[in-house]
Amino acid sequence: MNTVATKEIINIDEKKCKSCDHCTSVCPTGAIQGRIGVKHYIDHKKCVNCGQCLINCPFGAITDISMVEKVKKALADPQKFVVVQTAPAVRVALGEEFGLEPGTNVKGKMFASLRKLGFDKVYDTEFTADLTIMEEGTELIHRIFAHAGVPGYEKEGPLPQFTSCCPAWIKYAEDKYPKILPHLSSAKSPQQMFGAVAKTYAAEKLGINPADMFVVSVMPCTAKKFECQREEMIASGFQDVDAVITTRELAQMIKEAGIDFRSLSNEEQADRLIGTSTGAATIFGVTGGVMEAALRTAYEILSGQSLGVVEFKAVRGRKPVREATVNIPVKELGKTVPLNVCIVTGLSHVDGVVEDVLAGRSKYHFIEVMNCPGGCINGGGQPIRRDTY
Amino acid sequence: MSEIKGKVLKHSEQTRTMHWVHLICFIILGLTGIAFYFDIAGIVNLFGGEAAASDVHHWTGVIFTLAPLVYVLFNFERFAKFIDTITTFTKDDLGWLKTMGGYIPFIKAEHIPPQDKYNAGQKMLGLLVIAGCILMIVTGFPMWLLKHSMPPVLVWLTWKIHFWTAVILILAVLGHFFLAAIHPKSRVEFASMMIDGYVDAEYTSHHNAKWFAELKKAE
Repeated sequence: MNTVATKEIINIDEKKCKSCDHCTSVCPTGAIQGRIGVKHYIDHKKCVNCGQCLINCPFGAITDISMVEKVKKALADPQKFVVVQTAPAVRVALGEEFGLEPGTNVKGKMFASLRKLGFDKVYDTEFTADLTIMEEGTELIHRIFAHAGVPGYEKEGPLPQFTSCCPAWIKYAEDKYPKILPHLSSAKSPQQMFGAVAKTYAAEKLGINPADMFVVSVMPCTAKKFECQREEMIASGFQDVDAVITTRELAQMIKEAGIDFRSLSNEEQADRLIGTSTGAATIFGVTGGVMEAALRTAYEILSGQSLGVVEFKAVRGRKPVREATVNIPVKELGKTVPLNVCIVTGLSHVDGVVEDVLAGRSKYHFIEVMNCPGGCINGGGQPIRRDTY
Repeated sequence: MSEIKGKVLKHSEQTRTMHWVHLICFIILGLTGIAFYFDIAGIVNLFGGEAAASDVHHWTGVIFTLAPLVYVLFNFERFAKFIDTITTFTKDDLGWLKTMGGYIPFIKAEHIPPQDKYNAGQKMLGLLVIAGCILMIVTGFPMWLLKHSMPPVLVWLTWKIHFWTAVILILAVLGHFFLAAIHPKSRVEFASMMIDGYVDAEYTSHHNAKWFAELKKAE
């Protein structure tokens, strides 16, 4: 396993590759070169680092780079104040590595084990998932106002607005559809918002020099390892997120430390300073979750009314491309506006949607795109269940 | 000096042809398969590189599948008789297995019971080869044609079954080759399958006594 930080996140071990060619069927961008009987390799220019090939390789021949040693070094350094954030999809998958039923929520045990591993502050990415949705929801409202000709919003971006929290989707859009970039929300992903907030607001409140702060993310996603290394992710004046480890790697660290995970209390909470969150943040990890969270925000702000039932069940489901229309009474326009939304899960299904937008044929106002089938819950960093695949 | 002279026809022309075709396919499939699994560039290059070797393996697999099917279609009675013979185990077969037909030096074999057209060892080999070939075919085609639609666990399972069945078949065929072509007690049979189909009547009278008696009776 490569332990040096590099942007070539996913790699095929040629010695282990059996040339079965299964991986080419799950790669959403056609980045894997090879055919049955011929050793496969990854074209990193096309690869979006999603790790779907990794979790689907029948022979375990595909690996992701590891930042675990970097994290251990920081934890062992008394000069470093090590902060960790945990994504929503991690807590319902981590238990699988310890023999618990898939879907078991081990949030408390996860926080307890992170404290035992020596992290100085244990936070929840759900806090910044809420920030993301406030940003993204507000941006959507502004774009709708701009589209409706409301004065003061002329400089807002075009509709439809695409979500921007999936790093695999962002790289795919940059690589294949640069013209679509103005349609992408300008909001950073929850991971990167957390890094920036941790090294500015939290550092200030905690009285820590941000230069001594080391921010670690526990993510269900291998593409987050690419995202944290992007040159522009230095809003705090430092690299906002220093290292990303996956759910699998956290489980490995817990096992190596000899922590009896199953016997830990499940009642422990995240540290509070940047740990508060809503249920809208929790559903980020599943397809349609970001859309539903954004609709809740947009509905309340646009209508000025509190939502009685917060669920928008029309956007839920497992179909790769789903659409729904939500009627929102817009107070500022004095009329009800039908908001057309679309949810895409799996990048291999996004081309038609993007091409419609570029051709001016799209009827949508807001489009959620997640690379992994089913959302982050099925990310490339999640536990691999070879018995059930 | 034995009074039995002459030869008996053991394997028909079509049987011998099918055996030759299957043998050649088996060697090609075995060599390319070993080369893929153990990543042996020397063998792969013999077939023109990875991509060409892969194609050779797949299309040879098609011939490997079709050859016995065509044979059975045109020789159904002969095949049915063959299946009947290799699936019939009597106390004579058990007696042969107890002494391993006298082929194993340290197993005493004072009396070897009379055998059918195929001895108990050949019957077991026949069953093993048929079962093995079926397993290779039912795993091989999905590995090739359903590689994108099967879940990873099935891909893994088909590869493992394909590999271990191949290992068993290769060992069995090597043993078969040793007894049929090299071992001094039985190599006279080599020509009957590989060349003209005939085997010495005298040899048959004691190696396949039951079958020989049937032939005499029919005469």
